[in-house]
Amino acid sequence: MSALKQVLICGKVHFATEELAALSSKLDILTLDSPDRKSFFEACKPDGKYGQVQAIYHNGLPNVGGFDKEFVDALPASLKIVAHHGAGYDPIDVAACSARGIQISNTPGAVDHGTATVALFLIISALRQFWNAQLRAHEGKFKQGTSPAVQNDPENKVLGIVGMGGIGRALAKRALGFDMKIIYHNRNPVDPSLLAEFPANSVTYCKTLDELLEQADVVSLHVPLNDKTNKFFGRAQFNKMKKGSCLVNTARGGVVDEDALLEALENGQLSSAGLDVFPNEPEINPKLLANDRLTLLPHMGTETLESRLGMESVVLKNIEQGLETGLVVNTIPEQKGQFSKH
Amino acid sequence: MPSAKPQILISGALVWAAAEVKQLEEHYEILVLDSPDRATFVKELTTGKYSNISAIYRHNSSAGAVGFYDEEIINALPSSLKYLCHNGAGYDQIDIAACTAKGIKVSNTPSAVDDATATVGMYLIISALRQFYKAEITARAGKWDQGIAPAHDPEHKTLGIVGMGGIGRALAKRALGFDMKVIYHNRNPVDPSLLAGFPEGAITYISTLDELLSTSDVVSLNLPLNANTRGFFGKKQFNTMKKGSVLVNTARGGVVDEEALLDALESGQLSSAGLDVFPNEPEINPRLLANDKLTLLPHQGTCTEESQHKMEALALKNIESALTTGDLLTPVWEQKGKL
Repeated sequence: MSALKQVLICGKVHFATEELAALSSKLDILTLDSPDRKSFFEACKPDGKYGQVQAIYHNGLPNVGGFDKEFVDALPASLKIVAHHGAGYDPIDVAACSARGIQISNTPGAVDHGTATVALFLIISALRQFWNAQLRAHEGKFKQGTSPAVQNDPENKVLGIVGMGGIGRALAKRALGFDMKIIYHNRNPVDPSLLAEFPANSVTYCKTLDELLEQADVVSLHVPLNDKTNKFFGRAQFNKMKKGSCLVNTARGGVVDEDALLEALENGQLSSAGLDVFPNEPEINPKLLANDRLTLLPHMGTETLESRLGMESVVLKNIEQGLETGLVVNTIPEQKGQFSKH
Repeated sequence: MPSAKPQILISGALVWAAAEVKQLEEHYEILVLDSPDRATFVKELTTGKYSNISAIYRHNSSAGAVGFYDEEIINALPSSLKYLCHNGAGYDQIDIAACTAKGIKVSNTPSAVDDATATVGMYLIISALRQFYKAEITARAGKWDQGIAPAHDPEHKTLGIVGMGGIGRALAKRALGFDMKVIYHNRNPVDPSLLAGFPEGAITYISTLDELLSTSDVVSLNLPLNANTRGFFGKKQFNTMKKGSVLVNTARGGVVDEEALLDALESGQLSSAGLDVFPNEPEINPRLLANDKLTLLPHQGTCTEESQHKMEALALKNIESALTTGDLLTPVWEQKGKL
């Protein structure tokens, strides 16, 4: 019987293998291999193989279904921590975890530069129409089928950042290099210390979302997906935007009302969009696929060796510290104040 | 009989600066090139309707009908023709030596192209490192991210800029926003006043091209095409680069030895490339098209409404300045002190 505390790896640790090896001298590392949900629930019972697990490394749930209330309630009584790999943790039923006293951690910070770079890429590509240009090149048409009349410089355009967390600020830094004017909306103005790196007056707060939408040539979404933000960006928001503007979404597909998005693209309210996320991944709405004016990526936000290594290290750190002290490193906002050190 | 207005020939596309042209029409007669071929153009220049022109607005698109402004065309230009005002930063389609020999002053449109071309450069750097072309074709084929392996962040990689003119500096500014380390090679170190906008120590001069090549993760070519630079980037240069590095070219296809580029991609010496220019546009080598690790754009450098307008306006301003004062605003450097 193991005297070491047990950790269950759900998914795989690809890059932080050294950190994992170091941890395995202090902790008993198990790997999720249940063939289906029922077997997993069985294994979580007190005398099952996962019955003593205290922490979960969460980077996918192969074969066992979603992290909903039923799943949470089936987890072993010993479970204290769910360390999520990702900044967004919308697949996890937070309320169910909180009700059971299970701490959730995520990986903010580690995702910022990777995601912000995707957003900037999508901004350039949407304004400059580079997907369409690449298609023409590959078809042997070179410039035929491209037209400066529908291609614009990002320089001196207004970028409206919705959600000014770590990713939003990393995007602002990149966009300033292209001489874009930056405005942002956040539930509250960001602490000035977090904006200290930006030249004075280069980043302006908009008290209301509408105020931002009316001024922006490009709107970029950087909000988490939760009950409050589910489909919050819809017809009313698109109608408030400048005619011919662009939307970029690297947050979650679910924050946008996709029908309203399609309508706005069809009637020219939006001239283009850059999307890295979709409501029902891995599906992409065929109407989006049919549109050459868009730039579409399959959730590439942090798909780099460097970002993945960084994120995996953060997940392992949360597990290590959470088990040692009783408090994870990256407490999610919904659980702020609920847990404290031993 | 009142003296006729000086004549300006519009040789190639002029799409956005209609208002500026209208203003010029107050003092000048505007002729528009309509010769279907070179022979007709030469005839009109020597004895026909273009035999009295004072200035030319030239755009590369005129090459489709009449070819480059090589020695033959330059020699056919009438003696009244004093100013050749080119729309474009690169003017490799004009024989400058022939112009100088005939006393024809030539201008180009530097700085008006900087931002737009640098933005293409930065886009290609990101796309090549992050493998976004492959990601998008996979997604659009309904395969989501099947077969896509984790790629690389630009952050903290070394960008080596070859040619630190206006475009190189505009690219450096953009790359710093992504926390790239920026080094550059230029025939000479750039005047410090031109680098004053950058944080102290952010940009490092490298005195030899080889040293830049051996330390860069991404090499970006930002130099003009001329007799000195044609094909200069070849096998030796690729072999000096770090294994698995990336080449970005927004300058001219002709500065790179394309066979050597293809070899370097095949051997893995280069992991990827981002190209906006090709040796024989509008053709793109099929071996490049077949490689989905590359990002290829059809010479999009300044293809925006705003930049096209800026460039046209600058070329026309050069004409106006020349016809009123005798001086061009942005003369090409090869003629400095000669005319």
